[in-house]
Amino acid sequence: MVLRIRLSRFGKRHDPFYNIVVSQARTARDSKPLEVLGTYDPIPQPPPPGSVSRRAFKEIKLDAARARYWIGVGAQPSDSAWRLLSMVGILEPRFRVAQIKQQVVAADNPLAAVDAARKTAEAAARKAKKSAAKATVPPPEQKA
Amino acid sequence: MPPRLRPRISLLPSGPTPTSRPQCLLRPSPSHRHFSQTTPHYEKATRMRRNMYKWINGPGKVFLEPLPGSTNYMSAYDKDGNLLRARKGGDEESTPGSEEAKALEEGKQAEDGSEKPKSSEEELENLDEAAVAKKEEDAKKEQIAKSIPPEGKQDLQPFPLNAQFVSQPVLSEELREAIWKRVMKDGVSLPTVSVEFGVSNERVGAVVRLMQMEKEWVAKGKKLVRPYAEAVMAMLPKTPYVAKGENKRPVNHESINDLIVHPATKQQLFVPVSESRHFTREDAAKAFHHTLLSADDRIPHPELVVSEREAQLGLSNSERVAAASARMLVERQRKAEKEAKRKEWEAKTIMRVPGRRWDFVFQDISVESVGKDGRSEKGVGWRYGIPHEDRKRGQVKIPTKVDG
Repeated sequence: MVLRIRLSRFGKRHDPFYNIVVSQARTARDSKPLEVLGTYDPIPQPPPPGSVSRRAFKEIKLDAARARYWIGVGAQPSDSAWRLLSMVGILEPRFRVAQIKQQVVAADNPLAAVDAARKTAEAAARKAKKSAAKATVPPPEQKA
Repeated sequence: MPPRLRPRISLLPSGPTPTSRPQCLLRPSPSHRHFSQTTPHYEKATRMRRNMYKWINGPGKVFLEPLPGSTNYMSAYDKDGNLLRARKGGDEESTPGSEEAKALEEGKQAEDGSEKPKSSEEELENLDEAAVAKKEEDAKKEQIAKSIPPEGKQDLQPFPLNAQFVSQPVLSEELREAIWKRVMKDGVSLPTVSVEFGVSNERVGAVVRLMQMEKEWVAKGKKLVRPYAEAVMAMLPKTPYVAKGENKRPVNHESINDLIVHPATKQQLFVPVSESRHFTREDAAKAFHHTLLSADDRIPHPELVVSEREAQLGLSNSERVAAASARMLVERQRKAEKEAKRKEWEAKTIMRVPGRRWDFVFQDISVESVGKDGRSEKGVGWRYGIPHEDRKRGQVKIPTKVDG
């Protein structure tokens, strides 16, 4: 059976709180996991009065080394777990809104997807060409 | 049988009626109502009502325009509306209380005279005169307030029948400003400021926090309710601020070194102790609870006890100052070390990932913290198989600590 790194919901009504857990994929969400890797509090906390940044924050506790180990032995993170793990650099970032939308469009309409892929490839080629031209043209100070 | 109609007699006393008395008292009953000839209760001028107007126009007049710099409680005045403490100090004739009485009498005479009809021009002139007179009166009142002796205990009883209730002074605006300045601008430690101004640690903390908030509001352009604050402050006794150069002793706001009663010490305890043993405060604390500190360590300002001990030992003033500054230095170093350690820990374990609307703060933890059986209280995360106790009796849900 597949091992998953996922969130299990604790807390209260209107007051969610998640454990980041490693568990068998087919077990219930809140059942006892193999291991608790950490926690995720999705409610943003107000910035402390004396803080420099003055920005709200969400608290996440995570044993990064252990998370790396579990991914190394084949555990599959869920989407939300992937998002969190990618923030600390354990995984490649995958979830951007535009990207996801594109993927959804691609799944709905394969022809449009091919078109979009061609367009992006062309744009990339153009960009590469431009940068190459820039590199070959010497700066104006040297010309004079 | 003659009809049982009572002649309508004015229940008001004869003589000059004060102008402020409402005229509706003598309103005749509507003519179309023939069935009842008794005066309705709201039109009756009862004795109590009469007394009330008598008081309002007599001794109660002093409360219409309160004396500046005074609490103006009822118990500060006698039955005739004279300020008690003004009468006590100085001569009978030159006292402001008697002046006030004279002024009152003059006012009454003026009222009596004012019943004559007047033309509109005269009234206008009188208005200007009244404005000027009012200004003069205000100036005079302030002068009187300055010459009156300070408020005693009797003047601070808002409820005349409850002598036990005495108004306690609040911090004056200047004192609050000075406290904030000393902590935030000069960077003096909180306990030191507390000793300096004679204000408790908690109150100093609260003042600094609230003043900071007020300053931020002012900087943001938020409007403050100044008139309300001024009105409330005018009614309360205040602890004044005595600046250092004024050659006066600073006024202590409250006793700052009171021992806070710990709940563990509320029980009655009988501890058998051998006669030969020295039973100290540390032992007493241990007897109450094994983690309870001794009373010497639980008081807000243990440093004051130390300095007093040094004085008892016969150390000179300069030696005591040197010792105190050395202690402060050690304390400051200890704090700095603690702060450095905290920063080091933060750099090692905390990672901040900026987001669009909020940051994500990752703290590195160890899964080993749950212990061998996975049930340790120190473990990270919601615990499995252990009931949540937030509905249990005695759970404190109100935050007991404020950050910043």
